[in-house]
Formats: sequence, C-alpha cells, structure tokens
Amino acid sequence: MRGVVWYIERDFLRWVRGRVAVFSALVMPAAWLIFVGLALPIRFTDNYLDFITPGILVMTMLSAGLSGGTLLMFDKILGFLNKFLALPSPREDILFGKILFVSLRGLIQATIILVIAVLIGASVYSPLQYGLTYLILFLFGVLLSAFATTLALYLEDHDSFAAVNTMISMPLFFTSSALMPYSVMPGWLRVIAMANPLSYAIDAIRAVNAGALPVAQIASLMILGVVVTAVSVQVFRRVTV
Amino acid sequence: MNAIETHDLTRYYGDLCAVNHLSLSVDHEVFALLGPNGSGKTTTVLMLTTMLRPTEGTATVCGHDTVRDGELVRRSLSYVPQDMAVDIKLTGRENALLFARLYGVTAPKDRVDELLAVMQLSDRADELVKVYSGGMRRRLELVQALVHEPEVLFLDEPTLGLDVAARATIWEHITALKKGGMTIFVTTHYMDEADRFCDRVGIISRGMLLALGSPPDLKARLGNDVITAHIDGTFRDPGVDGIMLFAFASDEASFLAENGREALPVLADAFTRAGIKVRALALREPTLDDVFLHTVGTPEEPAGFDQTKFRTMLRRRR
Ligand SMILES: Nc1ncnc2c1ncn2[C@@H]1O[C@H](COP(=O)(O)OP(=O)(O)OP(=O)(O)O)[C@@H](O)[C@H]1O
Ligand SMILES: [Mg+2]
Repeated sequence: MRGVVWYIERDFLRWVRGRVAVFSALVMPAAWLIFVGLALPIRFTDNYLDFITPGILVMTMLSAGLSGGTLLMFDKILGFLNKFLALPSPREDILFGKILFVSLRGLIQATIILVIAVLIGASVYSPLQYGLTYLILFLFGVLLSAFATTLALYLEDHDSFAAVNTMISMPLFFTSSALMPYSVMPGWLRVIAMANPLSYAIDAIRAVNAGALPVAQIASLMILGVVVTAVSVQVFRRVTV
Repeated sequence: MNAIETHDLTRYYGDLCAVNHLSLSVDHEVFALLGPNGSGKTTTVLMLTTMLRPTEGTATVCGHDTVRDGELVRRSLSYVPQDMAVDIKLTGRENALLFARLYGVTAPKDRVDELLAVMQLSDRADELVKVYSGGMRRRLELVQALVHEPEVLFLDEPTLGLDVAARATIWEHITALKKGGMTIFVTTHYMDEADRFCDRVGIISRGMLLALGSPPDLKARLGNDVITAHIDGTFRDPGVDGIMLFAFASDEASFLAENGREALPVLADAFTRAGIKVRALALREPTLDDVFLHTVGTPEEPAGFDQTKFRTMLRRRR
C-alpha cells in the first residue's frame, strides 16, 4: 500500500503546479453559490443559501470526481500508465492512488466553497456536523472517482471521455435535490431525484445540518462506493492483462 | 538459465499476427531486435515486460514465466518505452525519486543522487523536465529504469530522435551497464548502432525472426562484396549470373557478388548492353544495412527475399 502514497504525492505535485486549473475548478461552484444562492427569489425557505450549500458542495465533488478520470486518461495516453504497470509494486495501487487523490482534491475544493458560503452568510454548524459532512462528501467522491476512472479505462481517447463527462454531469445535477426540495418538484422529477445518488449525498448533508444522523444514506453511499470500486478494479485487471 | 527465453512466442491483434512463433534466448549481452516499422518489435517487448499477454507460446525472464509470475518478472526488469514518458510537470529529481520509492529502494534519495550524477544530470536535477532536451529526457528515463538495479533492461528505441552526440552517450551507458553484468534488450532502426554496440541482433519482419547472430557473423554470411550502382532514368536488373540484385531504392541499386573486383567490369558491360545509364559504381564491404535489406527486402518487394526463386526468375528472363 506504500505505493498509493507515492502516486498521490505525484498527482498532488502535478496539480498544484498547474496553477490555473487549481482555481478554474472553483469558479463554477462559487458562481452558483453567489449568483443562485444569494440572488434567486425563492419562496419555500427564507435562507436559500443554507438550502443550496449542500447541493453546491456535492456539485464540487461531482465535477472534481468526474474530471479526475482525465488524470488516468492522460496517464494512459502519455505512456505513464504503461511505465507504472511495469513496476513490481501492486498494480492496483495505481487505481487506489487515483481514486483517493481525486477524492481528497475534491475535499480541498469543497472546503474552499464551504468557506465562501460561510463568508457570504451561510449558517455555521458544529465540528461534529462538519465532520459528518466531510465523511459524506468523501464517500461520494470515492463513488464518483471510481466511476470516472472505470470510464477512463474503458474509453480509448480523451475526447470521448470529455464528451461522456459533459453529457452526464449537468443532467445529474439538475435531476438531484440540489436546487429544490422534493415537495416543490413536479412528480416525474421527484421520482428521478429520489433515485439519483447525488440526492443521497445532498439529503444526507441536509439531515446532518438539521441535527439528524442519516444512517441509510451514508450506508447506501458506502455500498455503492464499494461496488463501483470493485468494478473498477475488475476493469483495471482486465485491460492491463 | 538465460536471462530471457522465448518459445514460440506469438501475438495476434484480431486477425493480424504481430509476432509469429518467436524463439529466442538472450543472456548477459546487448541484444538488438531490428525490423521495419510495424514488424512486431514493440509487441515483443510488451509481452516480455508482462504488459501484454501472448496469444501462444511462453517467455521467461530470469527464469520466471511472464504470465504466471508477473510480479517476479517485473522485479527483475526495467522497461523504457518507445514514446518518452517523463513527467514534464515534475523536476528530474522528483521523476527519479518517484520510481525509486515505487521500487521500494532503500535510501532512495542517495540512490537517485548517485544515478543523476552518472547520467550527468546533477546540475539540472531540480529544474522541471519541461525545459529538458530530448537527450536529457532519455537519460532521465535511464535513471528511472536503473534505480533498482535490474538484471534485465528493456529499451524500446532508446536513441529515437536524438542527435549523434546524444546517441553516442546513451550507447556508452548501455555498454557500461553490460560490463556490469546486465542483460540489455533493445530495439532500434539504426543499423550502424546495432553493428557497433550490440553483441547479437535478430532481424524480424512481419513478426517472424528471419536472421539471428552477431553483426560480423551476419555480414560474413551475406558474404563477398557489395556493389552499389547509381542509376539515371529507369532501372531494371541487367541479370548477370553470380551478381545478385538485393536492394533497390530511389536511384541506388545494390548487388552482391563473389568477387567484387571482377564483377565490376562485368556489371558495367551488362548495364551498357541493357541501355541503362549508370552514374557511378562503387565496391564496398557488406554492412548491417545490407544484411537488413537482404533479409527483409526493399519496400517494393515481398518480405523474405527468396534467393533461389530470384535466380530462377533471372534465368528464365534471359
Ligand atoms: N493495440 C494494437 N491493436 C491492434 N494492432 C496493433 C496494436 N499494437 C500494434 N499493432 C499492430 O501490430 C503490428 C506490430 O506493431 P509493433 O508496434 O509491435 O511494431 P514495431 O516493430 O514496434 O514498429 P515501430 O518500429 O514502428 O515501432 C503492427 O502492424 C501494428 O499495427
Ligand atoms: Mg515499436
């Protein structure tokens, strides 16, 4: 498992050196937070910012997780993956390193979004509540990055990966409970939103903020994460002999 | 036990046979696999380095089967791919350190320092690889490959795209490594390099091993003398008995003859009689280039030039 640490360190160095990318990933969720969270005239709650912040945090993890697949895609295209595969250290370390790095990077980005939210007026919660929020975001990040890396292993080139990426990320967000509660959704949207894994994470964070412990949602995220990671490992073993 | 053994190693991509029943053994030497583009060199290296599963046949590296004991095989080898893959966003030292740590080398920092010095990269080690030249990147790849002191080193076209001096440096290092007891398996398109620096070469075409031996042996087997003729206008083989055409490219035709000195005037006469204009005739010893062309044939010809068939064809024509 030592290899995982070195793979994560490598990706981390590469990430912080691409300075523009570090900030550009934050622009979208920050803009949502400010322009939608503060500006939208909403009637179902008197603090829409508090309502939408969990959704934006999960959105940050969503795009961080999905774009994490490009890291593996480029390692594959540029020949790094082949060089790593020729090493005696366990090959799965490459995959676990990727999934962990992408999830941790998502958490760092989510932290910045959370700070912005508090600065512009979102409520402050207890350390325990934040701890649970991070746990939920991490589980969701693992689920997403495992999914994205599997996709990157399957697809041949970066273009098709980017295409799939944009194709699923926006619809996933809009069909979740990020923007409105189930009570104000039209019936058809409610059905989709309740099945959407984004909603599990968003609802779980809202429950935590309301003082509850969302065992069911956390358990579902955990089970989904384990299943998708297992699939990813299988695909990885298959494509690498 | 030889460092590398293959037995009927075969790989298909769909219907395409990229490597066809290749049997080889390589041990404590610099071995070069030569062949035209797409002949199966990289595919062979990928199978030997456990990156690709053979369709048929077996291969062992240091006695370990490449399919069954992948991890033991990877422990004994290093692989430098054909397309350079060093991380341009990291410094040279970071690139090397990553591999030293992944290999689980004891005292990775010292080992990296030592190798950076050997490869003359010490003073540039803390710059980003982005600013490295092609030669420096290749040497950095050697550093990465050597951190764990492998028994067998696979280099897929290690001098591709380098200038003459950089190529010479790479070969100096390869030669030094061999003296230290390492087995080195390279692929290359540069015949002069294979001739000068490799103990044995194998020539493959369309996945089949067509010739195997030391460069002097292969040249001696080709025998005799090589005559090259520079032709003006259209060319066709003048067809002289005992003077065999084996390569023709652009305006240069190459012939093999038992006794070059005697063949020269005969050939010149034949050209005149055939009405072919010759600008220059030259006599020289065979080179590995000639062996290569003779073995794989020129692009216009089918691979695996058949000498006897060619002779019969010539006789029939006259
Ligand atoms: N992944 C692949 N899928 C399908 N065909 C492939 C694949 N990789 C290689 N080939 C084919 O297998 C044959 C051998 O390819 P290989 O890369 O081994 O040649 P090579 O000798 O290394 O060539 P070069 O000198 O150009 O590097 C070629 O015809 C190539 O098109
Ligand atoms: Mg090749």
